Amino acid sequence: MTSQDFQSPVVVAAGLSKHYRRVRAVDDLSFTVRRGAVTGFFGPNGAGKTTALKLLVGLARPSGGSVLLDGAPLRATISDPSRVGVAIEPCGAHPGRTARAHLRALAVMGGLPSSRVEEVLELVGLEEAAGRRVGGYSMGMRQRLGLATALLGDPDLLVLDEPTNGLDPRGIRWLRTLIRSRAAAGRTVLLSSHVLSEAALTVDDVVVIDHGRVLHQGSMTALTDRGRTLEELFFDLTDGAAA
Amino acid sequence: MIALLRGELAKAVTTRTFWAFLLGNAAFAALNAVLVGAASGTLDSVPEKQEAISSLPLLVLVWGLVGVAGEHRHRTAAPSALVARHGRGTLLAMRIGAYGLTGVALGVVVSVVGVAVALPLLAAQPGPDLSAAQVSDVVAGNLVAAALSVTLGAAIGALLRSQVLGVVAVLVVGFAVVPLISSVNEGAANLTPFGASAVLTGATHDTTITAYAAAWILVGWTVALTTATVLVERARDLA
Repeated sequence: MTSQDFQSPVVVAAGLSKHYRRVRAVDDLSFTVRRGAVTGFFGPNGAGKTTALKLLVGLARPSGGSVLLDGAPLRATISDPSRVGVAIEPCGAHPGRTARAHLRALAVMGGLPSSRVEEVLELVGLEEAAGRRVGGYSMGMRQRLGLATALLGDPDLLVLDEPTNGLDPRGIRWLRTLIRSRAAAGRTVLLSSHVLSEAALTVDDVVVIDHGRVLHQGSMTALTDRGRTLEELFFDLTDGAAA
Repeated sequence: MIALLRGELAKAVTTRTFWAFLLGNAAFAALNAVLVGAASGTLDSVPEKQEAISSLPLLVLVWGLVGVAGEHRHRTAAPSALVARHGRGTLLAMRIGAYGLTGVALGVVVSVVGVAVALPLLAAQPGPDLSAAQVSDVVAGNLVAAALSVTLGAAIGALLRSQVLGVVAVLVVGFAVVPLISSVNEGAANLTPFGASAVLTGATHDTTITAYAAAWILVGWTVALTTATVLVERARDLA
């Protein structure tokens, strides 16, 4: 990868919108995700974060605007587990299926070696529970399975929606280390979170949205240089938007 | 695309739902064989005896419907799309195809159980015994009907994305609409998937169309609905 590659954004969302009948879930949303960085995607409940993430990875069709993934229009790209890994739903596994069977089926479909299944199970700490049906999992275990699914192809871009939900403190620390190590290796992470204090320790860049629109995009460093915290920024912006 | 087919097949058979339908269909085949072969009076013609080894494609159709609609209920469709390395239409076509293969497995089990239970009972009945060719005709009809019915059910499930809505719709069509059509024009009912399946499996003694014609009618419904579903899928949100 050249230094120019590192300068180009991995994701460019331009004028993105999504309407569900009369509801504008995402409205003219534009922002970029920097390569090799951890970008935090923040907003109150109903701000449009999850919908926006679904649009960015192609799970939902935009009503308007466009998404560029590595410079190419998303509509023209074919899903590839080595490029993008996604954990948006709680885990996306059938409750009657075991975690190992779930991951093995996905590995087969993605042309990935079966050894990778055992690797990600170990990585997320589910190797001992992998033979159990997902329906019996706790929320934290489902969250880990969702992360294992996202990591299956060892992707360049990891998109995580509320990844700390259900994780215990040890799990949150493990996740923080995992995310930072991926960024250190030049990989990109885009994550949404409501746990601002935790996210502040993890993210490099900050995007705040509300009512489907971007209210702020900037670096965490610029924020802290001005003596402000992520929480202060969030409440300043979203209280104002709600008023 | 073979990888998608293998992966979808693995998904289909690694839930308890598939095995429940497999056992349920086997139990129904045994029950049908006993009810027709021993408990329904004298069977002295070949079509009456063939009915003892016929299957009920509606049951396997419901398996395809419930399985594929369950992808949306349990939100398992999205992870598959994200690793597929192919477009959504291709992925769905492979999913429906994989369910069709499970239909063959169901057809084999139903036929083996039906033949194993029915033949000893039918031997005690008067009239001609079923020849190997006559048994093979019904078994072939069972297999074709099962494969196509599961495929059709999978296409309906993918189109409606709701297990409850799909099952209710199928039951209403199967037990209200088709009988209504039949009461108006008996031959017209054979043009429906349910009527064609009944002819194909020997569950009806209607001879207005041949088993070959019934198979083509069922193929037509299956191809048309699968094509429509795949085309619609490309324009829909997945999550």
